[in-house]
Amino acid sequence: MNFTTRVRAGSLSVASVLIALFTAGFTTAAAQDLRIATSYKLMTLDPHFSTLNENSSLLSHIFERLVYQDEKLALQPGLATSWKRVSDTRWEFKLRENVRFHDGSPFTADDVVYTIERIRNFLKPPSGGFQAYTKGIASVSATDPTTVVIETVGSQPTLPLALSAIFILPRGTDGFATTEKLNAGTSLVGTGPYKFKAWRSGETLDLTRNDDYWGQRPAWSNVSFRIVESPAARVAALSAGDVDIADFVPARDVETLKQRGAKVESVPAARLNFFQFELGKEAVPGVTDKSDKAIANPFLDARVRKALAMAVDRNVIVDKILSGYGTAAAQFFPNGLAGTSPNLAPQPARYEEAKALLAEAGFPNGFKVVLNGPAGRYPGDGESLQAVAQSWARIGVAARPVGVPFSVFNTKRAAGEYSIWYGGCSGEAVDVCLEAVLKSPDNATGAGALNFGQYRNPAYDEMLDKARTVDAGLERDKALAELTDFVMGDEPIIPLYHFHHISGYGPRVTGYLMHPRGWTTAMQAKPAAN
Amino acid sequence: MGLFKVIAGRLYQAFLLLAVMSLVGFVGIHSVGNPVYNIVNIDTATPEDIRRATELLGLDQPLWRQYFVFIQNLATGSFGISYIYHQPAFDLVLSKLSATFELAAFAMIVATLTGTGLGLLAGTRPGTRIDRIIVAATVYALSVPSFWLSMMLILLGAVTTGWFPSGGRGSTVEILGWDWSFLTIDGLRHLVLPALALAIPNIALIARLARAGTVEVQRADFVRFCLAKGISDRRILFRHTLPNISLPIITIVGLQFGGMLAFAVVVESIFAWPGVGKLLIDSIQLLDRPVVVATLTLVALTFVVLNATVDLLYAVLDPRVRISA
Repeated sequence: MNFTTRVRAGSLSVASVLIALFTAGFTTAAAQDLRIATSYKLMTLDPHFSTLNENSSLLSHIFERLVYQDEKLALQPGLATSWKRVSDTRWEFKLRENVRFHDGSPFTADDVVYTIERIRNFLKPPSGGFQAYTKGIASVSATDPTTVVIETVGSQPTLPLALSAIFILPRGTDGFATTEKLNAGTSLVGTGPYKFKAWRSGETLDLTRNDDYWGQRPAWSNVSFRIVESPAARVAALSAGDVDIADFVPARDVETLKQRGAKVESVPAARLNFFQFELGKEAVPGVTDKSDKAIANPFLDARVRKALAMAVDRNVIVDKILSGYGTAAAQFFPNGLAGTSPNLAPQPARYEEAKALLAEAGFPNGFKVVLNGPAGRYPGDGESLQAVAQSWARIGVAARPVGVPFSVFNTKRAAGEYSIWYGGCSGEAVDVCLEAVLKSPDNATGAGALNFGQYRNPAYDEMLDKARTVDAGLERDKALAELTDFVMGDEPIIPLYHFHHISGYGPRVTGYLMHPRGWTTAMQAKPAAN
Repeated sequence: MGLFKVIAGRLYQAFLLLAVMSLVGFVGIHSVGNPVYNIVNIDTATPEDIRRATELLGLDQPLWRQYFVFIQNLATGSFGISYIYHQPAFDLVLSKLSATFELAAFAMIVATLTGTGLGLLAGTRPGTRIDRIIVAATVYALSVPSFWLSMMLILLGAVTTGWFPSGGRGSTVEILGWDWSFLTIDGLRHLVLPALALAIPNIALIARLARAGTVEVQRADFVRFCLAKGISDRRILFRHTLPNISLPIITIVGLQFGGMLAFAVVVESIFAWPGVGKLLIDSIQLLDRPVVVATLTLVALTFVVLNATVDLLYAVLDPRVRISA
């Protein structure tokens, strides 16, 4: 830097200081500005870097998908207006016309091809999570600017669902965009309702309205996200009127927020938290008889699993621990969502019956067990370990609850140090969890990715494989419900609860539509009339 | 020659400290857990995904080899790439430094001025009502946990009165490639509460030190000579008492300032202040090893520099130190 440029840079920064000083006093939030305090830390601007809600939720303002999931998890047209399976292994997607990226370039089928190729061929781990969604794709091609044809490996009836997770990037002129390049933010363009303005990792994301949006004109002209991990700080920010929306409000703070004039919306999450058993080993750590002598794995006996499930008081968890912002669970998704079984309803605790069953299984005096789980990862996780341990004491099972940070929990669970633990699963559809948690683990297909306990039930595996070949619709839902009935009868896990996503909003918002996947977006907020 | 020896000794110490710090940080964060589970989506990742990510990050290697690679990177001036944010770790830490620095500096200036003032006030009037009030107040201020103090400040200063924002950093101005918020009114308003939360315990600490020093100096012979000579109270206070009590104050200011730069974790978390402390705690939670090690190394470096500065100030303020050095 030579002398003159340095002087110029200096005077420029002095000028910007003065301008900032003069304008700062007047920048009270205008009626069209939306300020959100979110717990989702945006790690990167690359929409294909990580499949976590943390990124997808915020980046969905800028980028769009071919297919959307509405609040009932049903598929809705996004950048694709329609899709159909033309043969067993071939899908055809018709794309929306007159859609433009934020830089003015038109959106065409070639961009879809590029996006899928980027995920399949270009991205390397750790940013490889999205490859799970493209695994079933054999080839993708554009037959004309508004038609994409996808050949699949075998029958893939859920391909549109898989594509509902993938954000469309524009094909640039110089090969695949690297994560570093996208993080620079200079060429970050999507087709979404908001344009990228500024980003500071772990701090803020600023967006402006895309006036050329193909859909309904976005309600807010500016949206600023402030990343606030501490729940108390989010609640305080909303209480003080610093922000208009705060997501992931702890249930215990709801009353305080209401007293301060904020409103609260909630929805049961499309996910389940449950206890999972180690079923792949004869000897398991942390399980002993009452005199601390090691015993064979008691969970291999389905009667023991059933007895423990019976002796869980879900109402205590839901009412006391989650302050009513939870739903007692008997299966993966809350009753009523596609693929759930109406026959499975959560039962109240039945201690006497459980005790009898335990005696029948050869444990009239119960046993000792260490009950493991993450603490502070999910609403009510650490506390529910305590509550369940107390319930189990009534049937003679002495459980010692141990909650540890999530990363430690994962490491120990993967190392096989647990015999029973608190787990969780969520997904686009209920069969994602049915496959991940309960199907026999298979490295080649990726099935049973969350089946850390090695539960194996060949009859169930077969039923699930069959159900997953059925096209989306009532028949598929019925098949999934039936096999859920079948497998839950074997008690492979103890379903605990579906916690609720809770968001609070202030007077400048008149309504906030919650999504069971737990997304936080400006599109969900309706502005107050001014 | 003597000066050269002192500097060489200092540099050697600093180097040793940094090496030990990086090793402790590296081994410590490694033993906590496997960062791969925070990078892949554990709800959907297949064992294959996890295996590939582990290999790519070099986490399948034995620990000594990972440390060796880390040292190799360090020799080329790189702390590695953040696992979580996918940016160079040291750049990431540096980008948060201005936020922490201005918060700590603001808090320390307030604490030093107010604390010294209160200490002088109390120390020159020992046993009076005002002295008793100040001493009692410092006891409370020192025993209050900082998370509680922060929440009370938010409750009073933001939620009930609405005078200040409850958190965040507000608008900033970029100078010399760094963002500064003390240059805008909005930024200043955001600075007040977290700075107070950091300053209040330090005001108490400094006030107690200043008071004790003042009481002692007031009894000293030279003050009586000054009085006998007819020098005004005011001149005695500022020309003679203040310099005499300043050594312990400067020591504590240096140490506390370093502590704030490094570990203002609680206050930064509660006020969502995007500084180094918050980055450190986030990174520990996410097991973002490169960032944790980069932060800890920077922290060690900060303490080395601050201690050197404090020593230098000693020499400036107290001639006796100069002679012995």
